[in-house]
Amino acid sequence: MEVIKAQNLTKDYGFGRGIFDLNFDVKKGETFGFVGTNGSGKTTTIRHIMGFCKPNSGSVEVVGKNSWKYASEIKRYVEYVPGEIAFPDLRTGTEFLRSQAELLGIHDMQYANYLIEKLQLDPSANLKRMSKGMKQKTAIVAALMANKEILILDEPTTGLDPLMRLTFLELIKEEKAKGKTILMSSQMFDELEDTCDRVALIFEGHIVDIADLSKIKNLPYKMYKIEFLNVDEYKKFKKLKFEIVRDQEKYNQVTVKIDNDKLGKLFTVLKKYHLKFLSEVDYNLEKYFMEVLKKHKEEVKNAVN
Amino acid sequence: MQLISKALFKQSLKANWMRWVTVTVATCVMLAIVIVVLGNLGINDIRDSLKNVFTEANQDSELKEESIDAYDSYFTIMGNYDGLYGMLSINFSGTVGSKIEDSCSQFDTSMQDFVTQNGRQPNETERQTIIDDTIQAFIDSFGVPESLIEQFLPGMANGMTLDELKAMLADIINYYDTVYAEPTDEDKTEYPVIDNYFAQQIYNEAYAREIAEEGATEEYATSRAEAARVMAIDIVGQYQGDVANAGGTYDYDANNYLTIATDYVNDTMYQNVYDIMIGEGQTDNDARINAVAVKVISNTAITTYQMLITDEDFALTVDTSETTVPEAAKTEACKSITDQIPDQVATALTELGDMDMYGLIIGSIFYRIAGLLLPMVFVIMTANSLLAGQVDSGSMAYVLSTPTKRRTVSVTQMTYLVVALFAMYALLTIVSVISVFVVGGNSFAINYGEILLFNLGAFLTMFAFAGFCFMCSAIFNRSKHSMSVGGGLTIFMLVCTILGLFGSSVVPSAMRISAMDFFNYLSIISFFDTVSILNGTLDYLWKFAILLGIGIVTIIIGVFRFDKKDLPL
Repeated sequence: MEVIKAQNLTKDYGFGRGIFDLNFDVKKGETFGFVGTNGSGKTTTIRHIMGFCKPNSGSVEVVGKNSWKYASEIKRYVEYVPGEIAFPDLRTGTEFLRSQAELLGIHDMQYANYLIEKLQLDPSANLKRMSKGMKQKTAIVAALMANKEILILDEPTTGLDPLMRLTFLELIKEEKAKGKTILMSSQMFDELEDTCDRVALIFEGHIVDIADLSKIKNLPYKMYKIEFLNVDEYKKFKKLKFEIVRDQEKYNQVTVKIDNDKLGKLFTVLKKYHLKFLSEVDYNLEKYFMEVLKKHKEEVKNAVN
Repeated sequence: MQLISKALFKQSLKANWMRWVTVTVATCVMLAIVIVVLGNLGINDIRDSLKNVFTEANQDSELKEESIDAYDSYFTIMGNYDGLYGMLSINFSGTVGSKIEDSCSQFDTSMQDFVTQNGRQPNETERQTIIDDTIQAFIDSFGVPESLIEQFLPGMANGMTLDELKAMLADIINYYDTVYAEPTDEDKTEYPVIDNYFAQQIYNEAYAREIAEEGATEEYATSRAEAARVMAIDIVGQYQGDVANAGGTYDYDANNYLTIATDYVNDTMYQNVYDIMIGEGQTDNDARINAVAVKVISNTAITTYQMLITDEDFALTVDTSETTVPEAAKTEACKSITDQIPDQVATALTELGDMDMYGLIIGSIFYRIAGLLLPMVFVIMTANSLLAGQVDSGSMAYVLSTPTKRRTVSVTQMTYLVVALFAMYALLTIVSVISVFVVGGNSFAINYGEILLFNLGAFLTMFAFAGFCFMCSAIFNRSKHSMSVGGGLTIFMLVCTILGLFGSSVVPSAMRISAMDFFNYLSIISFFDTVSILNGTLDYLWKFAILLGIGIVTIIIGVFRFDKKDLPL
């Protein structure tokens, strides 16, 4: 079942900026990522999902409701961690969380207190003097305490230290485990790779591709980079029937692509060679998208020509 | 639909309370100082004394006019009386009183004879014949041919012709017949008919003069004329006494009337003022001092007047085609201080005298300018922080990621702004009322009603600005834009009001630059009309309605715009 569904979503800010003809859907319980450079349209898309902006054409539906028309109703299902962290003009975190609870109609602060404890947050601190990490934690608690079905996060890890980032991603995974539908945007491929089921690549306002991470992670082949100690062996190896995707003669290096079930054969062969090193070439989301993007750019170029 | 969010209202309250307290306390203190300190300084003293000078000058002028009018009447009537009386007593033996009495009796007898002979009252023509016969008998009794009688009458001081003499006699007989023969008022019969006749002339003249005055009632004119009659009888009696004391011989001397008429008018003025002052419970000494002062003024006026009419040089300055010499002399003699200084200076001084310093400082300067500044700062900053500021910083996202409608957000924030402003002015109202009470309540230059209207007006002005700033805050997503348009225009209008003050009517013309009034057309603060409130006209009401309208319309535009726009959250 689709919880979020965008159809031909377009918002043109002029000068080529904006989002154009976006189509995607997020299924119940799924974690969906948006990746793209600065200004590619991630935040604009999220603003439309939240009903803060009105599309020029197309629509976004959240739990079957038009997010612009029913902006306040869909908030019964959506919790949101904004990209920019600016709190209302209140004194302490506690004051802010209490006010937010009142706005959300929460009377039982038990879950909020659980979150505070888990995040090791001291909410009694002055809001203005909080570090970025503390602010982010406070924002997370403010969003999660209502325990709604859909969680939307806009670049939640930007500006956090690596340790903080780990804790944070941990928490998201936990929410995911509870069955929440999660949509998050990021500039970092690795964190999306870690958490998401599917990731959409946005480039200049267009969704170039939506990648299914289970497919990327479970590729039917692997690649290895091999350097030989001497040229003879290098040349000898090249004559074997392995698929060589990259050949660097200067260093006596080859990169071999091999199906998973033929791995044993490769290593048996390599026993007889003297190698300087052997390393697996990781194939990840970043690589995947780089390829996609390269292809896309060429297509656009050709289309223009 | 729930339009007010309690949680959001509390948030706004917590976020802005310090600014509210600072602005409110500072403005209240300013207001209290303005009212209490100025109330004890007596800043209107100079104005009051200036006003007294002008009031007294005008009173003097009126007093002088009255004296000269009275003097003029007596002098003219006495001249006529003396002319007739003197002519008769010089040229022929016997008193004129008895001769005229005789003629009147003769007329009476002739009328009765007519009734006996004809068995009816004479008609108008027959009655006129009897009058003519009586006059002819009177003329004949001198034994001089009618054609020569004018030459025999040098005592006719006013150059009365024979025809005029006849007309006067006919008048006297008519007067005798209609009023005197059937006395209803004993006073009239105490004196010879001729005295009464002249007294009646004075009465008629005084009545005509009084009834011609603007706003004079029949009753008032009658009582004034009656008083003049009594005085006339008095003065004629005095004159007769003087003549008798001089041995009964008539010595024609114009100065004689001058002195008698002048003295009489002066004494009457003195007596009137004295009686009034004593009647008001003043001490004998005070009454005398005031009465003497009035007598002196009256005397000055009459003397000036006498000198001017007889002065040949003055007569040359009068354009006789427009006015008579006596009229010109009267105008000249009655000039007050304000008439004697150049017009522009007089206007400036009069306005300075009329200027209400409290009205200017409390109404036009405090309520419209100084007292608006801090609330304006509050409104500009608060209106911005309620919407645009939160959208700009992004903190609005937290409210809007809860099931709170945008309409609820804007209406709640607007409500907070209006309630905060209302509370501020409620406090200011209390402070102003207490301050006015401290400096004397309703006896203070600005009474409770006016001070309440000032507060209401200032509140409505700020309400209009609040609406406008709120609208800007709702329209713009950036604080700096909302601040520059909302705050900029608001402060611009305040500055225009400051500049416009120098061109407004509350500043006396001596200090006014009327071109500066242009600035008042650039500011909606002009709809807060403190002058109308102080003058008690109702103009301020429709202007209040406009201010209220501006506030409501801008708020509605703001609320609707906030519903529809894209939010960068």
